[in-house]
Amino acid sequence: MKRRDLLKMGGLAALGATAACGGGADTAGKVPLQFMYWGSTFEQKAIAKMLQAFERKRAGVRVTPLFTPDEYDVKLNTLVAGNRMPDVGYVPMAMSFRLAEQGKLLNLFPYLKKYPQLAGYLPDAYLWSGQDRLHGVATANEIELLWYSRPAVAEAGIAPPPADAASAWTWDQLVQNAYKLTVDQSGRHPDQPGFDPKRIRRFGVSCSLTYAPAWYGFLRGNGGDFADEAGRRCLLDTPEAIEVFQNLQDLVYEHRVAPGPGQLAATGDEVPGTSILLKTRRVAMVVDGHWSLLDMNESKADYGIGVLPKYAEPYTTTQVAGASAVFAGTKHVEEAVELFAFHIDPRYVDLYAKGLWMPQERKYYEDQAAIDSWTRNDSHPPEFRTAVVDYAREHGVPAFGNRVKDMTTISSDLLTPALQEIESGKRPAAEVLREVTPKITSRLRGWQHTQGL
Amino acid sequence: MPPLSGQRRMERRWGLLMAVPAIIGFAVFTAGPMIASFLFSLTDWQIGGTPSFVGLDNYTALAGDGLFWKSLTATTYYTLGAVPLGLIIAFGVAMLLDQKVRGLPVWRTIFYLPTLVPAIANVVLWIWIFNPDFGLLNSVLRQAGLPAGQWIYDESSAVPSLIVMSTWGFGNTMVIFLAGLQGVPRHLYEAVSIDGGGPLRRFWHVTLPMMTPTIFYNLVVGVVGTFQVFNQAYVMTEGGPNQATLFYVYYLFRKAFIESEMGYASALAWVLFMIIMVLTFMMFRNARRWVYYEMAGAR
Repeated sequence: MKRRDLLKMGGLAALGATAACGGGADTAGKVPLQFMYWGSTFEQKAIAKMLQAFERKRAGVRVTPLFTPDEYDVKLNTLVAGNRMPDVGYVPMAMSFRLAEQGKLLNLFPYLKKYPQLAGYLPDAYLWSGQDRLHGVATANEIELLWYSRPAVAEAGIAPPPADAASAWTWDQLVQNAYKLTVDQSGRHPDQPGFDPKRIRRFGVSCSLTYAPAWYGFLRGNGGDFADEAGRRCLLDTPEAIEVFQNLQDLVYEHRVAPGPGQLAATGDEVPGTSILLKTRRVAMVVDGHWSLLDMNESKADYGIGVLPKYAEPYTTTQVAGASAVFAGTKHVEEAVELFAFHIDPRYVDLYAKGLWMPQERKYYEDQAAIDSWTRNDSHPPEFRTAVVDYAREHGVPAFGNRVKDMTTISSDLLTPALQEIESGKRPAAEVLREVTPKITSRLRGWQHTQGL
Repeated sequence: MPPLSGQRRMERRWGLLMAVPAIIGFAVFTAGPMIASFLFSLTDWQIGGTPSFVGLDNYTALAGDGLFWKSLTATTYYTLGAVPLGLIIAFGVAMLLDQKVRGLPVWRTIFYLPTLVPAIANVVLWIWIFNPDFGLLNSVLRQAGLPAGQWIYDESSAVPSLIVMSTWGFGNTMVIFLAGLQGVPRHLYEAVSIDGGGPLRRFWHVTLPMMTPTIFYNLVVGVVGTFQVFNQAYVMTEGGPNQATLFYVYYLFRKAFIESEMGYASALAWVLFMIIMVLTFMMFRNARRWVYYEMAGAR
């Protein structure tokens, strides 16, 4: 532990040094900005490229990238504590609301007029910490999808999951197909005699119980929600919610078509990427976010994209991402706001065309030319238009994790442990949910503020 | 005090000078932060905000914090399992390695090796061992026709699994035991042999009593160390499933760096410090009854 701390401190010192250099590199009279972000090596390169493009566009500005792949919360917290915040950057979603309350993030509301681009995002993308107090935008729009392995589906002889919301499978259809896709080591399906649930070669489907965006679309589609309109009463004990969670538990223990806790784990809670699960055909269908597209293409998996199964409505969770913001301490507000708008502009960032991000600007879902600009390429399969673009536009419900006050603490203290209990299969969902719901209610302080522009 | 001779004065000056880096290091990186964290523990402070003085509120809030008690229970459970088991295994292996067998250095190296595996690599290795489907542990159990377990993925077996895992790094404790064993005077063994005592008696009447100071030392270090268990919860279980492995320091970390409740986290840290201090004090008090120092008079 001690040594780890020391290493961490060393890392911070190095970060501080980089920051100091960033400030000191102002030799040519250029405006220095710092951009802090996390992500894979791939994202690191794409962002660095974007920053260079920004420097070319704004010749008087020099941007220092502060790439921070690990322990982002801890490092950003340290910079905040030392009052050495970057100018622009990613902020973990829950932290963004705290920093906004503390006045550490710039209110972008006054800039909406001057920079019309900022006013053109999807309504759910904006992050409000009060009336006319706009502290940031979710970095990218991300939605949940049903990814599947084409060879596995072909082998089972079933029709692939539908790619448009209108013909989405019902839950029962999902289960039926999952039966056909699940096989044990000797090739038996779960409904055949002699099926060995301990030695499953391929699971039909996998959907996380502990990762809220995976099931929030089901919950909303079934007429339920996490909390009531006032955000003061938790609704996880309603029949609609219980049905959704019982169905997820049943996938594992009743139907035996989905993996239980730990069964897919490779390193801790980190399950191998969806692309690996599909490519190795360990799982035939996986509920996962749109961002998997990048890995799918990189790993050359033979995948397809379907919409999630529906309850009453075919809903999916949207806005599953971290926040981006301008920090209040910036000495160069104009340049920083421009960089902010630039860093999520699909014209300059190739993460959209590569499949990691979905745009936040509304026109990229509505205007044909704009849609084509990020989806007509080799990284986006033909079904992308209906399964992702239309699906996100018409059937998205914004993730509640970003919108319920104190959700991080409520999750770690109450919700996640309860979901883990459901996941363990020891008690029915109803029992667990009825127990935890009043406890969550006692901690609820309402939804975060939202408003139109 | 008689005036110091020139040489003594010079030695003293140099001695202090040489110690200065350590003293500065202690003041800046240990004493300073400790004082600061105590002051923080009396405030309500989120990083980025302004601390407001709340007196002992954080400490009284702890009493009503279910997760505080949960984390304390989980940590105590882990300590009660990991420390005795670790001591017994390390002692046992040290006894084996104290025998005169062929290839002793090789054996000693092999048993010490796991200690050299970096903490996180070790954790990742064990995640694989514990994997319910294709992990080493369950594969072996299945081969032997025994029922397989869910290990760290089940609420009831998570802490015991981590206890088993903890014994793996017994190398350092073992080396200390080995040194202790080699310090046991041979003539005492000879005396037992002359009286017709077998290996069991030699162990019971000579080895064990003579080793009590070493056992005591390892016990104290073990308890202090395991009370601060963190890596496993951080990397393997994230405190789950259902808070089963919500170890104290992990809870503290979560409060401090995820929820950025620095005041509350500081109070947690001080309570842990006091718990460890009281435990250590109790162990020392109790030690008089069972720890045998050959040169007790000279202490």
